[in-house]
Amino acid sequence: MTEYFEVLSRDGAARAAELRLADPVATPGLVDDVVENAGGMWPEHQDVPDGDERTLTVLPHRGLPAGTADEVADSFAVTAPDVDYPSAAVVSSNHVEASGADAYVLSDVQGFLGHARGFKDAILSVKDAVPEDAAVYLSGAATPRNVAVLAYAGVDLFDTDRAVALGTQGRYLTTDENHFLDDLDELPCACEACRQPREEFDRQDCVDHNVAVLEAELARVRRRIRDGRLRDYVEGQARQDQWLTALVRELDQEWGYLEARTPVYRNAHMDATTEDTLNRVEIQRFAQRVTERYENRFDAPLVLVPCSATKPYSDSQSHYQFREVIRYRAHLASITSPIGVVPQELELTYPAQHYDTVVTGEWTAGEVEFVAEVLRRYLDANDYPRVVAHVPDDYRPIVERALEAHPDLDVEFTVADHPTTDESLANLAAALEGESAYGKRERQRNTVRALADYQFGAGAGDDLFGDFQVTSRYPKLQIRADEPPTAGDDQNAAPQLATMVPNYGTLSFTLRGARRWLESDVPTKRVQIDAFVPHGSVLAPGVVDADSDIREGDEVVVEGPKAFAIGRAQMHGDAMVESTRGEACSVRHVEET
Amino acid sequence: MSEPSPEVYERGRGMDAHNEVMRGIRAQKDATYDPHEPTRVWLDEDNTPGGVYDSLTIILNTGGCRWARAGGCTMCGYVAESVEGGSVAHDALMDQIDVCLDHERENLGEPGEDDEQAGLIKIYTSGSFLDEREVGAQTRQAIAETFGDRERIVVESLPDFVDAEKVQDFTQHGLDVDVAVGLETATDRVRHDCVNKYFDFADFEDAAMAAKEAGAGVKAYLLMKPPFLTEPEALADMKASVRKCADVEGCHTVSMNPCNVQRYTMVDELYFRGGYRPPWLWSVADVLESTADEDVIVVSDPVGHGSERGPHNCGECDDNVQTAIKDFDLRQDPSVFEQVSCECEATWETVLERETEYNAPLVD
Repeated sequence: MTEYFEVLSRDGAARAAELRLADPVATPGLVDDVVENAGGMWPEHQDVPDGDERTLTVLPHRGLPAGTADEVADSFAVTAPDVDYPSAAVVSSNHVEASGADAYVLSDVQGFLGHARGFKDAILSVKDAVPEDAAVYLSGAATPRNVAVLAYAGVDLFDTDRAVALGTQGRYLTTDENHFLDDLDELPCACEACRQPREEFDRQDCVDHNVAVLEAELARVRRRIRDGRLRDYVEGQARQDQWLTALVRELDQEWGYLEARTPVYRNAHMDATTEDTLNRVEIQRFAQRVTERYENRFDAPLVLVPCSATKPYSDSQSHYQFREVIRYRAHLASITSPIGVVPQELELTYPAQHYDTVVTGEWTAGEVEFVAEVLRRYLDANDYPRVVAHVPDDYRPIVERALEAHPDLDVEFTVADHPTTDESLANLAAALEGESAYGKRERQRNTVRALADYQFGAGAGDDLFGDFQVTSRYPKLQIRADEPPTAGDDQNAAPQLATMVPNYGTLSFTLRGARRWLESDVPTKRVQIDAFVPHGSVLAPGVVDADSDIREGDEVVVEGPKAFAIGRAQMHGDAMVESTRGEACSVRHVEET
Repeated sequence: MSEPSPEVYERGRGMDAHNEVMRGIRAQKDATYDPHEPTRVWLDEDNTPGGVYDSLTIILNTGGCRWARAGGCTMCGYVAESVEGGSVAHDALMDQIDVCLDHERENLGEPGEDDEQAGLIKIYTSGSFLDEREVGAQTRQAIAETFGDRERIVVESLPDFVDAEKVQDFTQHGLDVDVAVGLETATDRVRHDCVNKYFDFADFEDAAMAAKEAGAGVKAYLLMKPPFLTEPEALADMKASVRKCADVEGCHTVSMNPCNVQRYTMVDELYFRGGYRPPWLWSVADVLESTADEDVIVVSDPVGHGSERGPHNCGECDDNVQTAIKDFDLRQDPSVFEQVSCECEATWETVLERETEYNAPLVD
């Protein structure tokens, strides 16, 4: 039971949470002032203390330092007792025993701090063994430079021990460097300790400065997590120390760990400013879904166009001009780094309308390879009678590379100099001469189907709704059953199955839509709850079971002895099952059963 | 100090684990030694209850430590098998003594003068000098004879092997005799679980009693900061241990030595992975200074001071603090430590205040 720690929001493996003491502590944060150490048991036995709700008690332990052999760890490790006050259990990364503690402290921290792979292995080892919503505490680890990346890796609790010790050694810490104080002729900081003449600034001031900067960095991290934007920051911040960059990359190789904790959509802007962005879960997931789930249903040529800075693309000047020329006689897909390929139906779908990238006209080798590979796989999966590549010169190598795998495909390049010049647009028009246009109904239905494919799995666009009608205006399309209303329905319209959510380019079900989902062959995501009727939300303690492939943001069917509901996951499936606190899912529609 | 039965079970498990790991570590070391050469011999100067003497220290190669063959102490890198076959014959041991006497002749006093002798002889083995499976009665008596004209002799032994009869082999020559016991710490739990050495403080008290009956004294060897202890834990353990030793009748000297990182040990494995830091020299100085009022001579001889693998401070002040410690050894005057200071004392104090079993070592 993690009674005294509650995860409020997740941003990948990072969590904004609260240590629920008498005076709550926002995390990731410093716990120096609230930790009470019941003591190490190597020199002497320690009794389990009485504890209280004002402090986080580190339970009696034998700390196993880095390098402790497994046999020794097994023989000497102390099992943490179950207590009813806020507590932390000391474990080591090669010997983690889950207990009832709210937090877990890793005793071998000094062995893996500074070593990317070792750090990653240690964090994954403890995360794998303890409840999803338990806090992870690293003592003597945090510096202003590393703490953002450590929080990104999934560490919740820190202290000032390292920053203080380094301060006493005359190390002046900033978010970018661990300076030797003696080397600084001016202090690159305006904290209270630094507001004094340089010659009066001593090592005690250095300690005060280090702590102040660490606190400020943690406040920044908490803000970033709540905004869903820690990764953007970390891609830059990790550059300040090689091992931190290596750690971010090591974690990017741990798809299972990060993917499970990354929401399928969020209402946050995404900066695509480094090559590491290509390895983000959001980017990889979009590419995977577009190439493995999405299916083009237009019987028309494919026109490839460059992305635009304005999002969604269709709001941009350039895409307006393309659309005026194409006039629904072709299927439009945008080529972009770092997303890859964005078919027109998915231009609102996270993160296609949420990212901003750096445009210079120069592509890195990594970008070319990634985007070309996505395009190649896209063309593998979708048949087109021909392709019109209306792309500028810098995009051309990508298209050509992707097409190497498709030598029989009829491809025409139509850009003379720049895609929006008269000549280029005239070429595009000429290329589409004689093609017939598709109608609005087809466009809207195919958009709904594409969203369903993307969101629920390959074939979902065909299997989910059967025959259906689309009402209202893009992008707020409403999906209605092709059947008359029955008792309980609005008698003036066909019964609604789902709504398109313009902010995220997703579909939201009605109860009737949820039933269609269950009846279809499309894999569902289910949350089983206790015997109650949820209103507004389901809290984690009410969850009996949940599919482990549920991701935050997913549509979920909520079922229990007394209720049937449709809602949206607010945490991933394993977290719903393992958590003691927090909103597991929001409930949109519910009916008593 | 007896413990309730579940603890005994726990202790057995811990010992098995330590031994299993240590056997594996020692097995990586592949070396044999000439049984006619001592392991080491050197000259120094030592403070004893009888005054300061030139000392000849001999580490006899007696075939290796029995306990190390089982696994042994977590910080000790001496070999389990130091000669082929595991035991050394009387003649070979006497050859080793001859080598030591040659060393003394060649190195003590002014060149050309050969009549100077060390007043103090210190004999260590890789196990227990008083264990007759290591050093037979014949050899022991011959060695006592050889050094019978000196002032004082120190022989090392585990407490089990200390009895009046063996000690009298030396006292009968009129020698002042000290039995050196590797007590390591007065805290049984630390000696068992951190050092993996299996006798109790009570056994040490008994050995001191036996030595006293034979007219000898006891010198306790303490180990500062065995693996798994934090700096503050190690410091508290040493202060308490010195005081407990001072209270033992017959124990007139404590040699407190900071742990250094020897190859092929558990300490080395921890050190290599970032889980061990040798003690601060400030801690050594603090123990000496704060126990100076005890009725016992306390000395320390930090090996490898100032190096990563030895006791060290910040790198700037190590030599100065080492000098103060050596000075204290000879004079037992705590004011020597008032002469040394360094900015890194603040870091050491931070470590004492903040280092825990879940963040150690907090500072390199």
